Amino acid sequence: MNARDKILGRIRTAQARQTTGAQVETISSHLARHPRGPLPPTPDDLVACFMERAIKLSSDVLETKDRMGVPALLASYLNKNKLPMRGVCWPSLAQLPWQVAGLEMQSRPATNQDLVGVTGAFCAIAETGTLMMLSGEETPATTSLLPETHVAVLDPRRIVATMEDAWDLLRKEYKQPPRAVNFISGPSRTADIEQTVTLGAHGPYRVLLILAPL
Amino acid sequence: MRVGLFVTCLVDSMRPRIGFAAIKLLEAAGCEVVVPEQQTCCGQPGYNSGDRKSAEAMARKLLAEFEAFDYVVLPSGSCAGMIRVHYPDLFRDDPALLARFTALGQRTFELTDFLNRIAKLEKAPGNFKGTLTYHDSCSGLRELDVYKQPRALLATMPDVTVHEMVESTTCCGFGGTFSVKYGELSTRMADNKCQHITGTHADTIVGGDLGCLLNIEGRLRRNGDHSTRVLHVAEVLSGLDSEK
Amino acid sequence: MRNTSINFKSQVTVKLADVKLQGALSRLQTRFVEGRSAVIGEIDDLQATRTAAAAIRDRVLNDLEHWLLQFEQQATTRGAIVHWAETGEDVNRIVAEIAAQHGVKTAAKSKSMVSEECGLNDALELAGVKVMETDLGEYILQLAHEAPSHIVAPVVHKNKEEISDLFAEKHQLPRKTGIAELCREAREVLRPAFLNADMGISGGNFLVAETGSVLIVTNEGNGRLVTTLPRVHVAITGIEKVVPTLEDVTTLVRLLPRSATGQSITNYVSILTGTKDNADHDGPEHFHIILLDNGRSSLVGSEMQEMLRCIRCGACMNHCPVYQNIGGHAYGWVYPGPMGSILTPLLGGLEKSPDLPNASTLCGACAVVCPVKIPLPDLLRKLREKQMEHGMKSRQETFMLKAWAWLALHPAIYSLTTKIGVRLMSMLGGRDKLLHSLPGASGWTDGRDFPAPAGRTFRELYRQGKHK
Repeated sequence: MNARDKILGRIRTAQARQTTGAQVETISSHLARHPRGPLPPTPDDLVACFMERAIKLSSDVLETKDRMGVPALLASYLNKNKLPMRGVCWPSLAQLPWQVAGLEMQSRPATNQDLVGVTGAFCAIAETGTLMMLSGEETPATTSLLPETHVAVLDPRRIVATMEDAWDLLRKEYKQPPRAVNFISGPSRTADIEQTVTLGAHGPYRVLLILAPL
Repeated sequence: MRVGLFVTCLVDSMRPRIGFAAIKLLEAAGCEVVVPEQQTCCGQPGYNSGDRKSAEAMARKLLAEFEAFDYVVLPSGSCAGMIRVHYPDLFRDDPALLARFTALGQRTFELTDFLNRIAKLEKAPGNFKGTLTYHDSCSGLRELDVYKQPRALLATMPDVTVHEMVESTTCCGFGGTFSVKYGELSTRMADNKCQHITGTHADTIVGGDLGCLLNIEGRLRRNGDHSTRVLHVAEVLSGLDSEK
Repeated sequence: MRNTSINFKSQVTVKLADVKLQGALSRLQTRFVEGRSAVIGEIDDLQATRTAAAAIRDRVLNDLEHWLLQFEQQATTRGAIVHWAETGEDVNRIVAEIAAQHGVKTAAKSKSMVSEECGLNDALELAGVKVMETDLGEYILQLAHEAPSHIVAPVVHKNKEEISDLFAEKHQLPRKTGIAELCREAREVLRPAFLNADMGISGGNFLVAETGSVLIVTNEGNGRLVTTLPRVHVAITGIEKVVPTLEDVTTLVRLLPRSATGQSITNYVSILTGTKDNADHDGPEHFHIILLDNGRSSLVGSEMQEMLRCIRCGACMNHCPVYQNIGGHAYGWVYPGPMGSILTPLLGGLEKSPDLPNASTLCGACAVVCPVKIPLPDLLRKLREKQMEHGMKSRQETFMLKAWAWLALHPAIYSLTTKIGVRLMSMLGGRDKLLHSLPGASGWTDGRDFPAPAGRTFRELYRQGKHK
């Protein structure tokens, strides 16, 4: 008998001792229903709520009327914060007018040398000001992870109220979760030294969210 | 309302005045108070030490002595909690006794809870003048929801000023046998509580459980504080605090 | 990790006298207790959410076998390899085998308390694999050769000065004094470790049965880095961590950071399923999930099963007045505070931890904040009952308890004995009305006076009609 059999056997024997008597829902039934637990109240204005919570968690948030305005907005932000005017972006954003805005943007995954990474997001969650990122060929994970500055271009219509709403969206648009689903809620941080929160641990030092409709 | 008073072993041996204060308060609230004379201990020390058998025996004895009353009232959150919350656990495998103990528990109250919520005592007969701070004993607070009740009763006394301490709900470190078995730890916890008490500059520390009060007084005095008075809330509310 | 909980009592003495530790512990109280209090109100109906969370955990624990099989099946379908380990040694052996199989020379590790149970790092070093802890707190501990003292904030017992000294010594760089500078230095020292590691090792906060996923919550970004860059990812966690669905794990994730650190959400929540496919630029080619038993299965179906609900938030220890005064190392193993006082005896043997179940006043502060409503004081009491049943109590204590019970059941003798006792003690108290020492109770009188009894019992005064 291998470890698996022994462990499962012990559990089986132990469980046989239990006498609940109550009618228990089957595993497949519960999985099929995947019911939600208690939810936070739905905010009236999802976008405003999302922005408020994102700012609370130390993300910077900017808005522009449409995608084409993103490069200029980013250029001004990078300039103001004395950050380099170059970075890498996801393929879906490669066609934006970066050069016109004075930015050098390469469409490729990030390496350790890149200081600015520009991504989109699968959706965003108003409940906590969180981005939901899915791994994939067109959505490399390194772009939001290795650079010191992570910029996410987000369509405000992809802001949902709760994490549960995000799962529904995932189930609708994908058969199954991709290799990595990451919730990102601001710049990386640690409080390990004297319980003092410090922004910028191993991940990005800053996160800029640009709300721009597709 | 016919009330059976369980004074508790600590009150019986250490501070009888608290028992008399409880009687006075219950009578002021219009109750007929009976004190069954064979009462001894609720069984908590044994129960918390893992000795279920002794606790069961003491529970049965208490049931026999107190089952007939409309209410059972105790000047102690920890003993009242033992009866209401833990006696049913002791008899979880005996449906008949479980029912009787559950019913008993529903009629069992910590003193200030009973006076404030059930008997609705409008004014405490005491005449305490000065500042006090209140220590919330763990069992009363977390097992029986005792927090507002003593404060509401104290608020009916015009010359009482309550200065709330920082962390009034943090354990004082008594914990029954813990106070002796883990004495160093217990002393540190008592000391923390004393720091919070002296931080209020109140004349008096008041609480609803004598175990906590003995622990706190013991540390205050060893620290050289012989002026802060240590009183049970029943003593303050009843006016017996001014008796010798 | 070696279980030294037998030394609890002597450790208490040491820790109470440790001024630096005491300072650190009061900082912890401020941040974590006040932190939780500030955000727990964000949950609309906290009690309903805790009840739902407890039900989610119980659903799995009441049918653990089949939920584990469901998880295993889903994870395997997605390309992960699921391993089963009975003991910590088995985990170490499996990880070493995986390392050997893939030619792993260096591993980058994000936090895993289960790996501490196993002593994984030392075992891997012996097997020729260099392991770098990347969670800042765990990295500091690795440099200092110390064990964690808290399950969420492992290096809470150290202050900034000690960390500055440590970094200066180990990094051979000019001594930094600011916290931000220290963090920056750690980032730069550890970045190459992430980039060059052959294997990433993580824990698993939850295992989602629906999708066969491992979920980890982190703040620093190291959790994402170790599960994205290296070609092999090994996730290690306990068999009790299975949660049915994405919705169920969300309820738990709503409670976990708020209960643990006073955060509405951890910076990163990573749900990892299977291996990279050909088109993916990043992610591990090989994903191994190791499920550890180490005594957990013995709790299933027992009166202690509720302890398996634990989601390792640390709220219990943050709110425990005992932990607040002595810190985590005194508990002698991986898990301190109330949950550790229960888990260490259950997983390591009650006879090795005689003090842990007893070093508590059963104040209940832990039970109030536990997000999954584990009845911690009741479980501590049950362990005390086990000690009683197995004759593990001292003869003195057993005698005292039996004597007291006997007296209490014989009111006439009780009455006489207490009458004599209170007169005697009242006399000894003298004018001060204080006893400065009590034979057999030096635990009390070493640090406190004992107020003298009034001198007469209530019973005798009542009988005399003194109140009329």
